[in-house]
Amino acid sequence: YLHLYLSRHLEKANYNSRSYISSGSFYVMEGKNDKWLDAYHDPVASIYTFTQCLTLSDIQADGDWKLIVADLGTGSYDMKLKVYKNTTLMSEHTIIDLPTGVVTFYMDTLEPRTPAIAVASGPYIYVYKNLRPYFKFTLPPLNIHPLEEDLWNQAKDDQVNVYSMREMLENLRQEGCSLTVRSLRLLQLEAGHVEGFVNLHKNTPLKKQTVITCLDTMKKSVADEDAISCLVLGTESKSIYILDPEAFTVLATMDLPSVPVFISVNGMFDVDYRIVVSCRNGCVYTLKRGSKDVSKHMIELNSQPVGMQRINKNIYVGCMDETLHCFTSKGKKLWTVRLPASITTIEIIDYRPRSFAAVLVALSNQEVHIYKEKFLVDIIKMDDVVTGLQFGRFGREDGTLVMTTKRGGLFVKILKRTAKFEEKALSAGPPVSQNQKLNVPKKTKLFVDQTQRERENAVIMHRTFQRDLAQLRLKVMREYVKALDNSMNPISSDPMEPLKLSAHVQGIGPTFKFTVKLQNTSLSQASTNLVITFDYDSKLYDFRKKMIQVPMLVPGLTYNFETFVDCLNDKGVTENVKVYVLKQGKSVPLITGVVSMPVSESIVVV
Amino acid sequence: MADHGESDEHNKESEGVGAAGKVPSIPSVVAPPVKPRSRKAPEIPVFERRNWLIHLHYVRKEFETCKVLIREQLSEAGGMCEYAVYVQGLIMRQEGKIQESLDLFQTCALLNSQNPENLKQVARSLFLLARHKAAIEIYQQAAKICDNDWEIFHNLGVCHMYLREFEKAKNYLKQALTIRRHEVSYVMLGKIYLLERDANAAIDIYRNAVEYSPENPDLLTTLGLLYMQVNQYQKAFENLGNAMTFDPSHTKAIMAACSMMQSHADFDVAITKYRIAAANTPESPPLWNNIGMCFFGKKKYVAAISCLKRANYLAPFDWKILNNLGLVHLTTGQFASAFHFLSAAINLKTDLAQLYMLLAIALSHLDDPDNASQSYEYAAKLDSKDPSIPLNYTVHLLNHGDRRKASGYLTQFEALVESLRASGREVDQELMDLAAVVGPTIHVGETTSKRLITSVTASLPDQTSVHAAATNAGVFSSTSGTTATSEVARNSRYAGTQSSAEEPDIMNDSPVTPGLMAKSEAIVPPIYGHDPVFAPTPQLEDDSPFGLTELSKPSPMCQPLASMGRTEALPGIRGQLPSPDQSVSAPPSHMSEDGDDIAEETEKEMKKADRASKLPLPDL
Repeated sequence: YLHLYLSRHLEKANYNSRSYISSGSFYVMEGKNDKWLDAYHDPVASIYTFTQCLTLSDIQADGDWKLIVADLGTGSYDMKLKVYKNTTLMSEHTIIDLPTGVVTFYMDTLEPRTPAIAVASGPYIYVYKNLRPYFKFTLPPLNIHPLEEDLWNQAKDDQVNVYSMREMLENLRQEGCSLTVRSLRLLQLEAGHVEGFVNLHKNTPLKKQTVITCLDTMKKSVADEDAISCLVLGTESKSIYILDPEAFTVLATMDLPSVPVFISVNGMFDVDYRIVVSCRNGCVYTLKRGSKDVSKHMIELNSQPVGMQRINKNIYVGCMDETLHCFTSKGKKLWTVRLPASITTIEIIDYRPRSFAAVLVALSNQEVHIYKEKFLVDIIKMDDVVTGLQFGRFGREDGTLVMTTKRGGLFVKILKRTAKFEEKALSAGPPVSQNQKLNVPKKTKLFVDQTQRERENAVIMHRTFQRDLAQLRLKVMREYVKALDNSMNPISSDPMEPLKLSAHVQGIGPTFKFTVKLQNTSLSQASTNLVITFDYDSKLYDFRKKMIQVPMLVPGLTYNFETFVDCLNDKGVTENVKVYVLKQGKSVPLITGVVSMPVSESIVVV
Repeated sequence: MADHGESDEHNKESEGVGAAGKVPSIPSVVAPPVKPRSRKAPEIPVFERRNWLIHLHYVRKEFETCKVLIREQLSEAGGMCEYAVYVQGLIMRQEGKIQESLDLFQTCALLNSQNPENLKQVARSLFLLARHKAAIEIYQQAAKICDNDWEIFHNLGVCHMYLREFEKAKNYLKQALTIRRHEVSYVMLGKIYLLERDANAAIDIYRNAVEYSPENPDLLTTLGLLYMQVNQYQKAFENLGNAMTFDPSHTKAIMAACSMMQSHADFDVAITKYRIAAANTPESPPLWNNIGMCFFGKKKYVAAISCLKRANYLAPFDWKILNNLGLVHLTTGQFASAFHFLSAAINLKTDLAQLYMLLAIALSHLDDPDNASQSYEYAAKLDSKDPSIPLNYTVHLLNHGDRRKASGYLTQFEALVESLRASGREVDQELMDLAAVVGPTIHVGETTSKRLITSVTASLPDQTSVHAAATNAGVFSSTSGTTATSEVARNSRYAGTQSSAEEPDIMNDSPVTPGLMAKSEAIVPPIYGHDPVFAPTPQLEDDSPFGLTELSKPSPMCQPLASMGRTEALPGIRGQLPSPDQSVSAPPSHMSEDGDDIAEETEKEMKKADRASKLPLPDL
């Protein structure tokens, strides 16, 4: 039998060695982080959940707080409500649909004070008491368009043709009315199935349901820790409902401009309350008791919120664009912090014994950053991306951080009593780089000497340069003219024989493959009567084909002509080889290619 | 059995929405047929039942999980789940498949034509495909559904901006700002004013923006740069300083602020700050150019050349860096190298008078008076406002004995100075001093031996001419470093390159600007120099010692011939400047040396060589 507080003793007694206790994997070890103790570590717990599906509560009223996890299973089946007592799984309940959120709340005044667990899933809230299913609340159905209802009523009495009914429903849909699932399904069916579908469904009453998207609690009339609380839930139909905990009736309904995603409540229903809701349109709305105007303290964000929390009156929002914002309850932005990676979830630390309140931000770079106001006070490094966070009392330990990860791990860390969070940024003062020397390229003595030489001889240098430049240009022009005259270039300048030549040598020797590519670049004129031949040192190379007859060249195509060349010398001597393309009846080649031969490997005698 | 009938049907009805091209069909996902065997009707799950989960994964950027969920939900709902299609569209867009995302959002608009979000996203995708007109149309449709939406007005404004309908754009953006004050709207509005070359209006906009979000370093930097543009350097520095308080490693702010420090000759602080920038952007050509010019200002020529060469390596086609390299080489007396850098600069920037003037100076030292004269004349033709060109030309002409022409150019110089003074601008003291030296020489002429006079004037003022020119260009270049990518519309002709520093960076993200910038460059070639505030910038004085060391050498020769004015003038200048040796031997105590040891040694070596060698006097 094992308690988390054990770890506290161990912390004192055994600081340096890892001490494994009992058969479980519950151990204490000193991590690199001096503020947190690793209390539990199970990378293969296979839990798929979110921050809103995690909660810590004293559900048995024995002072030993349990961890309640709504597990989404595989995402389509195997959904479970799991309760951990310390680190052992204490109970498991199957949930029929995907759980959206889990809260615990006191629904009566009975002794002992055991809170109930509420799990939101689809259009239902399942309430468990003493770990037993207790009650199932169904969201009130939405209003159905009167015409649609009428149509189905007529269908029930067979007063309407199913096809004309379908047509009318389609018209309704196009007008932008939201229809029931049944009607939508009907619209999707092929003609043959319509009748059967209507007959099957017409006798059951038509209803339009929605889905719960977020869940929270609110004290009803007393602020005590164990006072009766209402459930506050947001739905896909853009409404907020407040439920009475005893009778499970809807106490209040509020409408939002968009679908709520994250919800945070404070205050008391009978006195005054504020509900802060972040919505899918990227806005955060504040709802007040008795006020219908939601847009008054609206916060419009630049990107979608990934998490929203509240500490006292400040609203902290983590956004998709890697920023953490803080707003006042009036919607004025206080500050923005840029984060090194994208946020996966945020949660608050409210550590009463030290009156320390901060925001935990889990990032996609496998870190959890702790922000006290806008200052980064701590970083927890993990081995996986944290997707669910919960800080609170677990077991008998006040400062416990429960984390679930993307790959399904479950981790528990305990805040050390000695931990001190410096309430200023970890990185203050001028950036480190200010003290690093500039990487100025070095210059040697030679540079100075050359400078000196130039100073003394600038005029001569300049004149020499100018003269040489002119000479170079002249020489280039001369060579060019010469090349043109002798057809030494690989592209023919003769308008009658527009040809292009390129040559490649493949192999390592002593035998090479020599490829000549010839292309007729004219648009319409074919080239005929061409021959390829090679000019080489016959002591060095031996071409197996000394001359290649070229067939008629069709304009535009590239022709490959190949021959093998043997290198006769094994001393590593090379020489250029010239490729001539000749035409019968002309003494000067049409085009010439010069190929520098690679160094040949010597013959390997096996 | 794919449900083809269904998708055809949707194709038909979709024509209404297709204002922007072809309309896709609803993804034809198999809708499992309902089995009619059981009598009790099965409960059909709500199509939207997993929207929340899709959303949660989407905001965490777990797009793969999201896609799987969307596929499941769509097959369950027969493609009729609006939100799933919507998120799929968003993911597609994130992945850069804009056309596909457009198709998906059009599908969403079909599924629910009443939701303005769908229309907004359709328009957004169109906008990203640069089909701005079509986007505007859709936004206007969306505006009919929900009025007073900031996003719609803002985006309408941006679309109009890209269509160059600035009036409309401004109206929409202002409307957007009345609905909700968003930084982006301010930025866009400011951008439009800049495109219209109304810097003051842009400043007002950015001031409002800064008021709204006082801790945004980007906004502060932009505001600072704008203040620089209109010559309000005090305010500019304040804003840049604020920007650096909130983000001490904001490269853009550092560059702008340091360029200002540089023009105040505060090189050590500038270099310290450049270190941060160098850590952030180690391969930025303007940065290395500026560091180089800092070293130039500190008379560490080796380091300056090293840095400038690196800048040149990183941006070989930037004429400003080449110009600075030419300038430094002129200063170190390497005229052959200077010639190459300057002619390279001229090849890249063919219409800047000052480049031709520098080239002329190099040429006159390379003993090529004909080309030098030609270059001077071309420079004078290009820019008839800059007094340094006629003055330097005067010196050059005097050196080659063309007294008449020289006096003509001197008159021109005086006229320019007059007109500058008339328009309330100060003229560089250095230039005036030089003119005072040159003036009398012209008139002395006939009496004394011509040869002697010319040689004196030759050695003396021409040296100075390099230097005067150099210092002018120095001002320009040290700032031009920051501007390296500049040339933006400027109001005042004398705004100076400093003011336009970084200007284009403001605009950089807007794809329309290049055209405009190119145009403005053609209209207003950057003019530097006699800026009312910075004209005799401290850098000038810092350069002077170098010029003077050279000057002082031939001075014994000139002494006997000098007219009264001249003899007085020289000590005058001398008095106010520290001797070069002193300034070299007193490195800033509070700061570690930037030039590393070897550079420092070479630097000294250079200095030694400098003193030992006399520059070859132009042979007459």
